[in-house]
Amino acid sequence: MSDNNGAHGQSGATTDSSLEGRAKTQKNGPKWWLGAVIGVIVAIAIIVGVNLAKPNAGAQGGNPSTVETGGNAADIVTIGLKLAPTNLDIRNTSGSALDQVLIGNVYEGLVARDGNNQVVPSIAKSWEESKDGLTYTFHLNDNMTFSNGDALTAEDVAWSINQLIKNQYHDADSLSMVKSVAADDDKNTVTITLKTANSNLLWTLTGRPGLVFDKDATYDAKTEAIGSGPYTVAKFVANDSITLKANPRYWGSHKAKTATVVVKYLADDNAAVNALKSGDVQVLAPITENLAEPFTSDSEHYTVKAGDDTDKYVMAFNSKGKNTSDKRVRQAIRYAINHEELIASRGGADKALGGPIPSLDPGYEDLTGLYPHDEAKAKALMQEAGYSTDKPLKLTLTYANIYGTELGDQLRSQLAKIGIDLKVNVVEFSTWLQDVYTNKDYDISLVDHNESHDFYQWADPTYYYNYDNKEVQRLYAQAIAATSDDQRDELLAKAAKIVSEDAPADWLFNYRVTTAWANGVSGFPVNLNQTLLPLYNVTYTK
Amino acid sequence: MIVLRSMWRRSEGKFALVVLGLWLFVALVSLFWTPQPLLATDGYHVWAKPSAAHWLGTDGTGADVLSWLMAGSRTNLLIVVLTVLFAGAFGLLLVAAMVARKSALAGASVVVIDALISIPTVLLALILAVPLGASITVIVVACGFGYGLNLARVARPAALLAARSSYVESALAAGASGWWTFVRHIVPNTLPVLLVQLSLSAGTAVLAESGLTYLGIGVPSGVPSWGHSLATSVKFINVYPLTVLWPGLIVTIVVVALNVFGDVLRDAADPLSNPELRRS
Repeated sequence: MSDNNGAHGQSGATTDSSLEGRAKTQKNGPKWWLGAVIGVIVAIAIIVGVNLAKPNAGAQGGNPSTVETGGNAADIVTIGLKLAPTNLDIRNTSGSALDQVLIGNVYEGLVARDGNNQVVPSIAKSWEESKDGLTYTFHLNDNMTFSNGDALTAEDVAWSINQLIKNQYHDADSLSMVKSVAADDDKNTVTITLKTANSNLLWTLTGRPGLVFDKDATYDAKTEAIGSGPYTVAKFVANDSITLKANPRYWGSHKAKTATVVVKYLADDNAAVNALKSGDVQVLAPITENLAEPFTSDSEHYTVKAGDDTDKYVMAFNSKGKNTSDKRVRQAIRYAINHEELIASRGGADKALGGPIPSLDPGYEDLTGLYPHDEAKAKALMQEAGYSTDKPLKLTLTYANIYGTELGDQLRSQLAKIGIDLKVNVVEFSTWLQDVYTNKDYDISLVDHNESHDFYQWADPTYYYNYDNKEVQRLYAQAIAATSDDQRDELLAKAAKIVSEDAPADWLFNYRVTTAWANGVSGFPVNLNQTLLPLYNVTYTK
Repeated sequence: MIVLRSMWRRSEGKFALVVLGLWLFVALVSLFWTPQPLLATDGYHVWAKPSAAHWLGTDGTGADVLSWLMAGSRTNLLIVVLTVLFAGAFGLLLVAAMVARKSALAGASVVVIDALISIPTVLLALILAVPLGASITVIVVACGFGYGLNLARVARPAALLAARSSYVESALAAGASGWWTFVRHIVPNTLPVLLVQLSLSAGTAVLAESGLTYLGIGVPSGVPSWGHSLATSVKFINVYPLTVLWPGLIVTIVVVALNVFGDVLRDAADPLSNPELRRS
């Protein structure tokens, strides 16, 4: 028995004197744990105190980072973004991080789009469309050069698009209707001929499919980039930062106003906030609306602004699901959701969205009046379907953990009132892709569809929504074949209204990206800045 | 009773007993009453400061922090009890194998335990979460497994000593079965070690619940727990430090209380160190 004591760490002796000794050390015991508890409380108090004191300290020490004298524009502006590209190969690597940093800055497209998602001239100064909508002729600017000194000609343009189609680079699918692309170097024009009319062609060319590369240059596209834009990539550190330097050979009107722009990628929200506070970055895009509070309340030093975007938080009801195939249930859910409250809880920047098309996309129409928040109506519909708060319908909501648990908690609380017992399943994004997107095994799903011009999802019965409406499919086909924008917009709006009325989903809100910057920064785009971020106008003056 | 009384007599014992008693009481109360209905959310009043309606303020969904913490104490209690039972049963089973009279079994089990003990609990939990998803089972099994191995390892010397003692040998010679002697003679000898290890395990289980829930593989969404309250508020520590303080404080105090409890219980329950037990 005596050796037994050794097992729990005290000395093995069992004489009475050692027992006495132990009795004495026990008297010292309280001081030890009391000390520990006090220590913990003091530590917490210090952490809280430091955090409370920080906004002021940060504001004072933060701004003067890169500027020497007052009134002068800084040579360097540092920008904090969230999602980092793994390499620079924009022709093969997917992900909007590359579009965001490279398009309009390093690479330029045949055409570009502005902050309202409208097509504007870029490498082409003007264009004509034939009456049947099958031939587009682009007139190019004169004397264009790439950053390596090579001239940018019509041949480069045609080669870039032909290569994309031939090698099936990223986004090549969106040009499947293209029959041929031909250059005429003498007239300085490029002609694109289509198999079928496509009203989305110009917009498509503002993205990756329209980018122009140097036919004669050889470089490692994963770590280097040679384009015709106002900036060149001076340094690229994967998953960390990109340093952009003004292109001295730039040919156009978007000349860089700041010599060097450093883009830092800050994946952690709190680290990002601290970087802006301490002056490591002068701009932060995006910042979680709820985390922006220290900056909104300090308008003397910071500006916080939300920009329009095409992110749609789509809560899809499986149209072929066991319970969600009942239209009454889907309608009841739409009536039961209090969108205004959801938006308020997120900080109030987001916009209510009543249908599949956001305000920056063609065919937008305010459809929020179709299913206003109406608990009584929702309850009545559930009653009709045979459910009530006493006999609730069990449904499962599956969504990826990147969106946080708050939305699920709120939806469960709102739907409980009309007799839906919502089980919220927050999973890894890969699990969502597998279960919901690929296998279509779900009741209700929630995801942020951030793409622009993505109405095709509702016209494709094989998409994970399982939504199959022949009228919508017919209208969408007509809209795509339309030869005028007005005609296209009208047809899309008509289709969108039918979709919304059918209630195959609820559009929780149109997420708007919040951007925060230190006062003195100007020219930073706030609209669409997670996919389109032209930096040539950015300056920082202190 | 004597054990409890001598624990109460020491101030750290008082602290541990009061905290654990309070925990039980709050868990019980939350079954019938919380200041606000648990699932009520209010998007217009998120991250509210403490007020008459919400004593500890509200979280990011506008839900009452105090109500969630009270209900969370129930979940944490369940997790701790289940983990301790699992770890205790599993650990004793391993001890039985390690002191078995079949030397092949004893030798093999020592090697196997040494190998298994190198698997981190978090890794095990991550693996379990693949088929099970986020659930209480993941926490209980992962922690119970890990702590059970530890317990077996630490209790083995005491058990071995008892197993080789003359009274066990006499019992066996008198025809007692191996299991009977294990339960009757060997387990009581390991009891002091067992108590300390299990109460340490209980404390670590509370910590593990917070950690695993933060990683998204612990308590599923919508089930209140201290880890859930921590995980949802820690993102906003820069802006709303008060909200993350409450669950953090509770976890800290309870873990300290559980560790102290183990220490004090060992001293109070061991006849060697508690003269009162010898007197009775």
